[in-house]
Amino acid sequence: MFEEFLERRSKKIRQLFEKGKPLEKLYPVHEAMDAFLLTLGKTTKKAPYVRDAVDLKRVMSFVVIALIPCILMGFYNTGYQIQMAKGAAHSLMGCLWLGLVKVLPIIMVSYIAGGFWEVLFAVVRKHEINEGFLVTGILFALILPPTIPLWQVAVGISFGVVIGKEIFGGTGMNIMNPALTARAFIFFAYPAQISGDAVWIAVDGFTRATPLAVAAIAPKGASAIAALSQAGYTFQDAFLGFIPGSIGETSALACLIGLIFLLITRVASWRIVAGCVLGLTAMSSVFFMLNGDNSLALFSLPPYWHMALGGFAFGAVFMATDPVSACATQAGCWIYGILIGILTVLIRVVNPAYPEGVMLAILFMNIFAPLIDHFVVRQNIKRRLARAPRK
Amino acid sequence: MAEFLIKKGRDIRLKGAAKKDIVAASFPKHVAVQPPDFRGLNLRLEVDVGDSVKVGTALLSDKADPRIGIASPASGKVTAINRGEKRALLSVVIETDGRQEAIRLQPFSEQQLQDLSRQDVIDFLLKGNLWPAIRQRPFSKISNPQETPKSVFIHAMNTEPLALDIDFVLQNKENEFQAGLMVLKKLTDGEVHLCIQEGAQSKALTQAKGVQTHSFAGPHPAGNVSTHIHYVDPIKKGDLVWYVEAQDVLRIAALFLKGVYPVERIVAVTGEGAAGHQVYAKTILGAPLAALVDGERNERMRYLSGSVLTGKDVGAQGFLRRYDTQVTVLPAGGKREFLGWLSPGLKKYTFSKTFLSAFHPAREVSLDTDEHGSHRAMVLNNVYDPLVPLDVMTDFLLKAVLAGNVEEAEELGILECDEEDFALCTFACPSKTDVGGIVRQGLDLAEKEG
Repeated sequence: MFEEFLERRSKKIRQLFEKGKPLEKLYPVHEAMDAFLLTLGKTTKKAPYVRDAVDLKRVMSFVVIALIPCILMGFYNTGYQIQMAKGAAHSLMGCLWLGLVKVLPIIMVSYIAGGFWEVLFAVVRKHEINEGFLVTGILFALILPPTIPLWQVAVGISFGVVIGKEIFGGTGMNIMNPALTARAFIFFAYPAQISGDAVWIAVDGFTRATPLAVAAIAPKGASAIAALSQAGYTFQDAFLGFIPGSIGETSALACLIGLIFLLITRVASWRIVAGCVLGLTAMSSVFFMLNGDNSLALFSLPPYWHMALGGFAFGAVFMATDPVSACATQAGCWIYGILIGILTVLIRVVNPAYPEGVMLAILFMNIFAPLIDHFVVRQNIKRRLARAPRK
Repeated sequence: MAEFLIKKGRDIRLKGAAKKDIVAASFPKHVAVQPPDFRGLNLRLEVDVGDSVKVGTALLSDKADPRIGIASPASGKVTAINRGEKRALLSVVIETDGRQEAIRLQPFSEQQLQDLSRQDVIDFLLKGNLWPAIRQRPFSKISNPQETPKSVFIHAMNTEPLALDIDFVLQNKENEFQAGLMVLKKLTDGEVHLCIQEGAQSKALTQAKGVQTHSFAGPHPAGNVSTHIHYVDPIKKGDLVWYVEAQDVLRIAALFLKGVYPVERIVAVTGEGAAGHQVYAKTILGAPLAALVDGERNERMRYLSGSVLTGKDVGAQGFLRRYDTQVTVLPAGGKREFLGWLSPGLKKYTFSKTFLSAFHPAREVSLDTDEHGSHRAMVLNNVYDPLVPLDVMTDFLLKAVLAGNVEEAEELGILECDEEDFALCTFACPSKTDVGGIVRQGLDLAEKEG
């Protein structure tokens, strides 16, 4: 009943978008709205005549659902950090509300500015609007500091969508993760607003270094954990996410919940995530063992701290697993994940200028993913050539 | 007997299986021969509208090798020759007279069969217009009688949804089947490989002599020709393998022993829409679907010759394709649902884990022709590979084809494949990519470039 009503309305509205009608150019917009409300109801014209119920819209919306814990935690923690900085009382709803006021505009600007480009390219190229943007838009917002100026959000996401994705041919063709490309762009273009101590808490004049920065600047030979606890950071806070950092990535727990959802629904590759954890554990254990009196304090940071701090959990779960920019072969996924883990620790520990290494590690491996795949595919070709017929 | 357990792939357990009961269908008033069924032949008409034909009369012949003819499955009169784009021949329709008068050749006794030479066999198959029963890999086309294959595969199992159980059809046919195998053995210096379903019962399959028998277990596409060749005697560039459908082995035997072009066809009538007619129907080649589902027509149904995965929508008025042993009547989809992408999906069928139904699979599913989405760029990885039991990296194969890189596509194993091997991939693809279509495009390209 309701569906029939909607269908009739949609047909009426469609007339405005048809060829020769005033809104002809915006047909992809109508199509996206229409398909959002009602399933397409298209039928098969050639074999196979039956099809799986899943489509990209479903898969992409599952990633957004998996991000809900991170989004909520992002709201809460942003508010919580503000209240803490002011020394004010912090109630659950109060923090959520404060965070919402701060964060929601960032999310909206990211969606609106990025969505504009997405629609523009769809209209020019005359193809349908891709759902992938639903994920890119929110991912980008979640890896920004809450103090980011909104115009930078718009510039960043525009760069990410246009340079990171559309110039390669759009969704599915890009080499690097568009959200991370956008983040890297503003990281290097506007360092004042995205690095340093002042950007993590949305209270004017208040500064507090992120835990990774604290550990990075601790004197040589000192224990990183001691430095962290001196600065007031406990492992529990780091794991739960009550630390300053980018909006959505402070809580390893929220990422873990999202990960469980993505693994149950098989949307993300468990091999990549496992590889990241493995690589990170191995590399940070090596540093831990090499730790001496004259080594940087970060050498002494054990693996479980590495996992809870910075953007590692978020990056490994939501960024590294982006199927377009990751490896496509199964063996490749392992190598790709492990190298991300290793590179993350390398950048964090021995290059204290960038205490946050995940973003660069993933972007770097994005570029290498096709090469890794190439070698895995060559193995397959060799194996097939060497195959002798069975007798 | 070698046994193979295929692990990759997936069975779609559709509702509407045919009851194992062979029922004679009413004799059709019209039959058709459809040139698009004969891949690799460039066919020329041998008859005109109004001509009288007998069973076995060549209606069409190959331009490259005129000895290869396509026989009429019935006696009667040619009533229509249908053409499509660029005047391509689509079908030759014959009004049957019911007498089934046939062209008669001098038959052989079983004793004589043993002494036939390879050339005798080829000549008789060509003369009897039964040569198109023998197809080749690579490219899945009608074989060339001037070439010699390294081995011959007998396709005696089918794992497609609701497929005909050939083991059941071959019960008590061991003598004819063995005679057919003996004839086919002459065609190669290598082996004849008989590929059967694990647990097959009929003596024809389990006690076949003079051949290598291989049993395959596991989900679809364990029953595909490509799977069998890949595991038993894989082909490289330059290799040639011939394959024959098990029902055609019986027909080859009948041609040699009786001297008459054999037209019998047993077809599984399946699918929810065929309620009341879901049996193994005994009919003739080129029969109209209406003769099998008894002429009832339903606007909300789709009439397929073949299975839901590899069949063709021929309509209620359409005719059985040459190599199909199954008819599927499938409900048409197209109902629009409010916020369907958000529904928990207790009743949606999926290979993915994105609907609740994936966590408590139903014993039998009811599917319609809804596409459930529209085409997108390929985004997800590892959707195809768990569905393809060949050692082929599907994503990369597709990319090589789309880039027009034939050499790489061949390195990646395209010559071992057929589009039907990727029907499950197309089914499961969230981006609604026509995987089989791309593979076919690659095969055509590889064939053209030699």
